This record gives sequence, structure tokens and C-alpha cells, in this order.
Amino acid sequence: MKERTIIRIAAVAAIAIVVYSCIEPDERPETPADEWLAGGSQTIFDKGVSAFSSQFPSLLGNRGSVHGVGDAAFGATFVSAPAPLNPGLGPIFNNVSCSSCHVNDGRGKPPLGREQNTSLLVRLSVSGTGAHDGPKPAPGFGLQLQQRSIFGVRPEASFHIEYSDFVVEMNDGTKYTMQRPNYIIEDPYIPFPAGLMISPRIAPPVFGLGLLEAVEDSDILSRADEADADGDGISGKPNHVWDEMKQQAVIGRFGWKANNPNILQQSAAAYNEDMGITNFIFRNESSFGQSQGVANDAYDVTDSLLQSVAFYIRTLAVPARRNANDDQVVRGKMMFHEAGCASCHTPRLKTKTNVSFPEISGQTIYPYTDMLLHDMGEDLADNRPDFEASGSEWRTSPLWGIGLTRVVNGHNNFLHDGRARSLMEAILWHGGEAAKARDNVKAMPEADRDVLLKFLESL
Amino acid sequence: MKRLILLSVVLTGLILANCKSDDDDNAVPAVDEAQNTLILSDFSVNVASAIYVDLATKTSNLQDDIIELTANPTDITLAKCQQDWKAAREVWEQSEAHLFGPVATEDIDPRIDTWPVNFVDLDQQLASDNEFTAEYVNSLDAALKGFHPIEYLLFGKEGEKQAKDYTDRELEYLNALSTNLLDLTAQLAGQWLPASSGNYIDEVSNAGKGSNTYKTQREAFEEIVNAMAGICDEVANGKMTEPYEQKNAALEESPFAKNSVIDFTNNIKGVRNVYTGKFKTDGHGLDELVKAHNLSLDNEITTNIDASINALGNITLPYGEAIILQNTQIEAAITAINELQSVLKDKLLPFVQEHSN
Repeated sequence: MKERTIIRIAAVAAIAIVVYSCIEPDERPETPADEWLAGGSQTIFDKGVSAFSSQFPSLLGNRGSVHGVGDAAFGATFVSAPAPLNPGLGPIFNNVSCSSCHVNDGRGKPPLGREQNTSLLVRLSVSGTGAHDGPKPAPGFGLQLQQRSIFGVRPEASFHIEYSDFVVEMNDGTKYTMQRPNYIIEDPYIPFPAGLMISPRIAPPVFGLGLLEAVEDSDILSRADEADADGDGISGKPNHVWDEMKQQAVIGRFGWKANNPNILQQSAAAYNEDMGITNFIFRNESSFGQSQGVANDAYDVTDSLLQSVAFYIRTLAVPARRNANDDQVVRGKMMFHEAGCASCHTPRLKTKTNVSFPEISGQTIYPYTDMLLHDMGEDLADNRPDFEASGSEWRTSPLWGIGLTRVVNGHNNFLHDGRARSLMEAILWHGGEAAKARDNVKAMPEADRDVLLKFLESL
Repeated sequence: MKRLILLSVVLTGLILANCKSDDDDNAVPAVDEAQNTLILSDFSVNVASAIYVDLATKTSNLQDDIIELTANPTDITLAKCQQDWKAAREVWEQSEAHLFGPVATEDIDPRIDTWPVNFVDLDQQLASDNEFTAEYVNSLDAALKGFHPIEYLLFGKEGEKQAKDYTDRELEYLNALSTNLLDLTAQLAGQWLPASSGNYIDEVSNAGKGSNTYKTQREAFEEIVNAMAGICDEVANGKMTEPYEQKNAALEESPFAKNSVIDFTNNIKGVRNVYTGKFKTDGHGLDELVKAHNLSLDNEITTNIDASINALGNITLPYGEAIILQNTQIEAAITAINELQSVLKDKLLPFVQEHSN
């Protein structure tokens, strides 16, 4: 480095210091450097298969040990009771451990052929509302299809997806072959109830959730615009869901339809519904009350272990951006904003102050979500309401880490049922409120679409 | 005034950093792309791909001898199967030093190496009249197939299995399990070999040159070193610490063959394979890169690998007993492996980052 360059840098640094020192952090204009640290101080720099599996870098001492206990439990395989280790699987279930769906703490993929051992589950309900204004359980099946079972018990039904191809044409004539899923649910253990509604959902990545959990309610609500008062075609509405611990309705944050309030309840529900593992929040087996149901005995996981797993998820770090300063990536980011993607995929959020949990306190993060529900159009609709989310509304998915999906999970399947086989297919599926942004992308010249993808891959 | 001081600190820092990097640049060029290409290619061919081919071969031997055991169940044919299981296990555990690529992303690891075994369902499977077709066994839960149910059926819960004990159903199930294990290990080998499109030899070798997975050579190097450090973490703080701290032998893997300590040792030997670029055929390993720039780091890594293996060698009892009776030896081994992990994570990782683009 030449001395003159150093002087220039020093001068710029001096000006920067002078300028920024007078501005509140919130108002400080964003610089490209900020975004490298997608998870604020809890960002890690692993770009490989473990990119979603690192603990918060500043998690020390006993807190690190609790993370480790949760990590082991997250990977623990449950088996039929009685057993010396991890008993209590089923009797009906979707999978045998947390990590068998959230492989490498990452994104699941749609089932291949007729395999039932998959990282996709199917939510069920019938019309009307159930307890606490949630979806109404399907009689004999509950709120979720368990397509696997321990020996001697019948799975509730089998599930697979068949696809039909169709072509989408960009304005410049480039064609994309897309696959439209057709869900087939068959061979039920008792006849399905009339009017059964189904919603297949892929296991989402689980890193960074502690930071999203720490975003203030009011911050989320500040972006809501249910009646589209500002007339930009984007509404954005919060879901309100039942909090089992507080015994009241709260803002929904997690799940494809923001249908879960927090990490602890999400984890407890997954233990219960996905694996048949009872716990202090969900005490009844998922098959309770069904003809194949079993008596409930002791909880399968202890309270402390459940809390450890929630803590593990809460303290999984966020991988840093890659190549954020690359010219093409910077241009792609402009395309992202110009097309209107950022209207819902809000780049920057801030976590609230929390002196008892310094790792997640007051962090500026770049998750690319507004945590709100949006109408995504008929093509993506599951037509199954979930609390206040309508059949065509979905929560804006965080985009952080999305460019690492291939190296962590070996595929590039996106959206709630994994139907999109690339990021561009995922964009093209957007409809409803996002139709305008999608059309803007379709109208881009190829070079602009390429840099847009480069930007997404850098997230 | 404070601002001025800060500015001068920034300036001084920049100037110092500048001078330092100039000095280093006069020695050996930091990044030798041609050498890095050789190292990545030899890792893929001589270590990862070779090890998966060998795993499939060893699994095939196991299958052959299980067929023989079925036709002629004697303690000699059983002993052969037990030896085959250990031989296949040795290769698999060494391969765990590079748990990335298809083994991780295609969900193969859990299907061949899940612990614990689901004994309740396994007994019921044996008692049933379900036909153990390849398709049926493949559809079973991971806790009913792979290395450990095979181990259980070959060694018995206390390592007491004798040929005369076998029921027809057990032998049928063993045959089906060995076929399933062979299918999965052959699939794994196939995903690395050049015959398949998008094979993983190319994904790693062509890092930074068209690889879909690794956009730069540095990313591939980071993946490799993180995996080496990762298995040390898994052995020291997972496989060894969990049964040890909880004094719970049920947490121990490979208890039926009393193979756990051998498993741990092979995990660390796997780290050496990756470091030296050698499974059977010697190639350009990470050690070449390290030796070219930093002999003391090379010495530190090899010393720590040897120390870890030696420390494991001092655990002479089956692990389930050692957690009660050989605490000193276990703690010494955990410490040694954690030291190896720190060297890999805190020294080798920044080193390869500095010496790759």
C-alpha cells in the first residue's frame, strides 16, 4: 500500500468518524461493510457444511455448555420405549430426531418419490376454528399428518408429491421450466374427514432464530400495513397465535405462517407432533384420543432438556455475507431494491435491549424479513388458514444464509414445500402482493437478473 | 482531541500493518494456486474417494461372509463376519474426519451410523413375518439399520454371540442389513467418482474453477479444515464426554463389539489422512502447504495427532467400563484431542485462509 493511499484512507476515516459521531446509530446511513455481519455480533465466518451449526461466538462458560447439551439433544435419535437411551418415539411420528429434518441445522428438501422418511410435514385441519382461534383439528388425524409409526401401529396415511411441468417466459423470451406440485395423501388408517385441508411444509433452517425472537413486537408492528394505507400494494400483517406459557394470544414469529410464538413452544410442538415426544408444554401424545392412541405417562423429555434445546436453537449464530463488496453483488442489491423485493424482505432489523441476554441485545441484523404475513397469490396458496393467516398468506421468509443452502444441504429447493429448484424459480412463484416485484424481475435484462442472483447467493 | 488520538492510532496501525505485510511478501509467495489445486485434487482422489471405495469393498466382504454364515453358521464363519464388521467400521470412522459432501447432504450418515438401536422394534421385526426385501429394509427407520443393528446381531448385547444362537429370522435380517449397507456405501462411493455427473471429486478439485459448491479454493480448504476440527470436537466433547460425564454406558457407541475406543482412534487417524493427503496412496497433503511456510505449525499438528492417538491407546478397557475405572486416561485423551482441535481451528484454519484465494 502506498503512503498516499494511507493518507487518503486516514482522511476518509477521519471524515467518517466526524460525520458518524453526530448521528444516532439508527439513522446512520448504511455502508456496504455493515451487511457483512448479518447476525450482528453473533456472526460467524464458516462458509461450509457447518455454516448454520455454530454457536454464538460470544457465548462463554456455562452458557456454552448448555448450548452443547441442547446440541446433543437436537441430534439424539428417539426409539420405541422401553429403551435405555432416548425412549418414547411415536407411536406415530414424522421423524426420529430434530436433526433428521433440520439436517446440519439447515433446510429440508421435498420427498423423493414415495419415501415417507422426509424433512417435509403436512399440516391438517378442517374448516372452522379450534381452540384459541387456531385451526380446527381434523377428526381422527389432528393438526398434523404422521406418516410413520413404530412397529405394530399404522401410520395415519402416506403422502407424496407428483409434479407437472409448465413454462414461464421472461420478457426477453428466456424460458424457465417450473414444476407444479400435486399433493397425494392416501391409504389413511381411518377414512379422512370431509373437507380435509392440507398444508405441506419443509423444515426451515434454524440458525439466527434467537435474534429474530429478540426483535421488539412494536418494531414488527411498525411495518404492518394491513389495509395498505400507503397504497404501495404491499399490506403486511402480523399473525396472532396462542402462547401456551403466557396463556394469551401474542404475535406469531416462527413457522411458514408465523404460526408459532417463540422458540420454546415451537420446539416443544415439534417434539410432540413430529416425534411423538411428550413434554411439559404439550403433555398429550399426538395420537391421544385417536383409535390407535396410547395412554399418556411420564413426559418423554425433561423440562431442562427441552429448555436446553430451545437455548441451543436460540444461540445458533448467523453466517456472514460473502462477497458483499463484489461489484456484481452490489449491483444485484440495487436490482433487489429497485424491483421492490425489499418491501417485504426487509434487510435490516434491530433487536431489543436485553441486559440478561447480552448476546442478542441491541444487535443490528440483516435477516431480510419483516416477520409479517403477505398474500402470495393463488399459485402458492395452501388454502388452509392458520390463526389469522389466510389460505394465501405466508410469512416473509428470512433470506440470510440462503446462498449457503447448496453447501450445507446439497440442494437448492426453496419455498414452503420445496417446489422451487432454484432461486429464480422461487422468485417466479411469487404472486399476490409480490406479483409486481416478480414482474419487475421478469422484465429485467438477463445481465440484471444474473447480478440479482449473485446478490442472493451472497446472503 | 479524542478524535485526533483515535485517528493517529488508526494511522499508526495502518502503517505498521503495511510494513509487516511487505516483509512477509519478500519471503515465499503466500498463495501458490497450482499447489493448492494439487492438494484439493489429491484430497478428493487419494483420501475421500479412495476411502469411500474401500468402505464399499469392505462392506461387500461383510456381505459375502454373512451369506456364508447363513449357509454354514459356525463360530469360524461368525468370527470372519465380526472381523469384516470391524474392518468396515475402521474405514467408516476414518472417513468421519471429512463429513461433508454427499455423506452429509444426501443423508447417508444417519442411515448407516445411527445410535441407539431401536431394540423394541427390532425384536418385533424379528418376531414378525415381514419379508425383509431390500425395499422394505430401506424404508425402515435409521435406528433399525446400518452399522449398529448389524453389530448387535453379530456380537450380541454383551459380545457373547455364538453361531448356534442364530435364528433364521436373525440371519435373514442380517443379510438384508448388509445388502442395505452395501447399497448406501456404494452410492456414496459413486457420488465421488468421476463417472457420475456433478461428482464430488470435481466439486472439490475444481473449487474456484467452476465448482457449484465451492466458489473459491479457500472455501474448499476451510471446509476441509473445519471438518478435521469438527471430528475432534465430536470425539472429545460428544462421543467421549457424554457417556463419561453422565457415567452412562448406554450413551456409548459400538458397545457390542467393544469397539468404541478403536472408533475414536480411527477418527483421529482420519484427521491424519486428510492432513497428509494419504489414505492408501500418498499424495499432496495440507502438510506440504504447511511445511512450505511454517515448520513449527507442521510439527505442532503432527505432535498433537500422535499425542491424541497415544492417549487413546492408554484406555485399555472397553469404553463402557473405562468411564468408571479409567478416568485419568479418559481425561488425558479428551484434553489431548481438544488441544489438537484448537491447533486445527485456531492455527491451521487461519493458515489455510492466508495461503489460498
